[in-house]
Amino acid sequence: MFIGDKIGKEWTMDQAPQYAIDHVANSKKNIFEFEFLNSLSEKISSFFGLTPESMFYIDLGITKHVFLLFFVSFVSVSTIIMLVQGYISHKKNIPNRFMSIVEMFVLYLRDDVLKNFIGDKEYRDWAPLVYTIFFFVLFGNILGLIPIFDLTGLLGKIGANTELLNKDNILYLLSKGGHTVTANVNVTFAIATITFFAFIYAGIKKYGFVQHWKNLAPSGLPLPLYFIVVPIEFMGLFIRPLALTLRLAGNMMGGHIALIIFITFIFSATAELGGLAGFGIAPFSVSLALGLTMLELLVAVIQAYVFALLTAVFIGMAIHVDH
Amino acid sequence: MNPLLTPELGTYVWSLVIFLTVLFVLKKFAWNPLLDFLEEREKDIAESLKMAESAKTDLEKIKDESEKILNEAKKEGKTIVSDSKLRAEESANKILNDAKEKSNEFLDDAKSKIDIEKKRAIKEIKEEVVDLSLELATKVLQRNINDEDNSKFVKSSLEAVKVDEAKS
Repeated sequence: MFIGDKIGKEWTMDQAPQYAIDHVANSKKNIFEFEFLNSLSEKISSFFGLTPESMFYIDLGITKHVFLLFFVSFVSVSTIIMLVQGYISHKKNIPNRFMSIVEMFVLYLRDDVLKNFIGDKEYRDWAPLVYTIFFFVLFGNILGLIPIFDLTGLLGKIGANTELLNKDNILYLLSKGGHTVTANVNVTFAIATITFFAFIYAGIKKYGFVQHWKNLAPSGLPLPLYFIVVPIEFMGLFIRPLALTLRLAGNMMGGHIALIIFITFIFSATAELGGLAGFGIAPFSVSLALGLTMLELLVAVIQAYVFALLTAVFIGMAIHVDH
Repeated sequence: MNPLLTPELGTYVWSLVIFLTVLFVLKKFAWNPLLDFLEEREKDIAESLKMAESAKTDLEKIKDESEKILNEAKKEGKTIVSDSKLRAEESANKILNDAKEKSNEFLDDAKSKIDIEKKRAIKEIKEEVVDLSLELATKVLQRNINDEDNSKFVKSSLEAVKVDEAKS
């Protein structure tokens, strides 16, 4: 069998984990090379005394995840602005199907999350942040589930005789790397950083700089207890964004790795037992992947909601200390 | 280092920049206008609900009033009808009584006239009888009659008078 032979030659079973990790991880190469970005990276990094060999070298090159970040932000911003502006400027003010979904989320977050945790008066200051987190993460999660770039990669592979097979080709690079920006810890950590500064800023804005840090520990405890409570609360301050980071990235990562592993069953069976076995296991693999994709759709919404909810809760905790 | 947990500060910086840009743009062009719009719409809905409520109570008031008016009108109508019935009966009775009285008067009048006529007639008859008897008496007196004749004659004339009286 042609397909079986071809896969059997290229695939061995122990390749599967590495393949799945490659799918989720960021690319090491840049998709687009911009000279000014490279020089900018060097300048910024040397300012901090970092060499390109360092683990913390600030490489501003457009890797796959950076490209996808642009893609997600473009899609989310254009979609939401189009829907909202269309809704507001429409004379009858009847939301269309997509706008009613957006409105449902907006109203739910406003009434059950923002007003509940932050307060009826202060919620307007923080609503844009919570909404943006929710929809940005949601779009990242859901666009990661749509295999747009797998299709482009497939197109690149079909033209195997041409230079498209070149491993530096954009389509090839896009097809192999992760498609879910929210599965990258750096991306989720960036959003969590914003949450971190948001709830510190909320506290300082409400109580002033000194009083906010005093609010860390409840007053009126016996003195020895402060030696335990203050360090715990201080650690908690940094654990919150870390938990946000790992929760979202871990959820998206796990789902996508499981999805890829289910699909690689077909290749592994073909490589080890021949093409017929590959065909035999394909229905099970595909139905498992289908079920998991459904679950991932649910997880995509839930994780976006949890991120937004926890942001609101942390801001609320900073504002309402007595709780 | 695990490729899934590698720190990529470039990606981190890009994420921050992109997210903050998205936040700024969406805040300005989507969230604030949308929240303003939703608040305004909710206010509108609450106001129109209030208005509907007040209109409802107004309507009920008007309904009550109109029912009251209707009931009063019905009552008045009933009294008018019963009054006019009474009046009509009264006037009918009056007319009837008047007619009866008049006819009675006529009757009485006629009776008294008849009586008067009767009395006059009887009087006339009596006078005639007296004249006749006087004539007869003169006739008889001119003739020479015996006692028998006399007595017979007196008897028969008396009877005749009696019969006349009875007839009248």
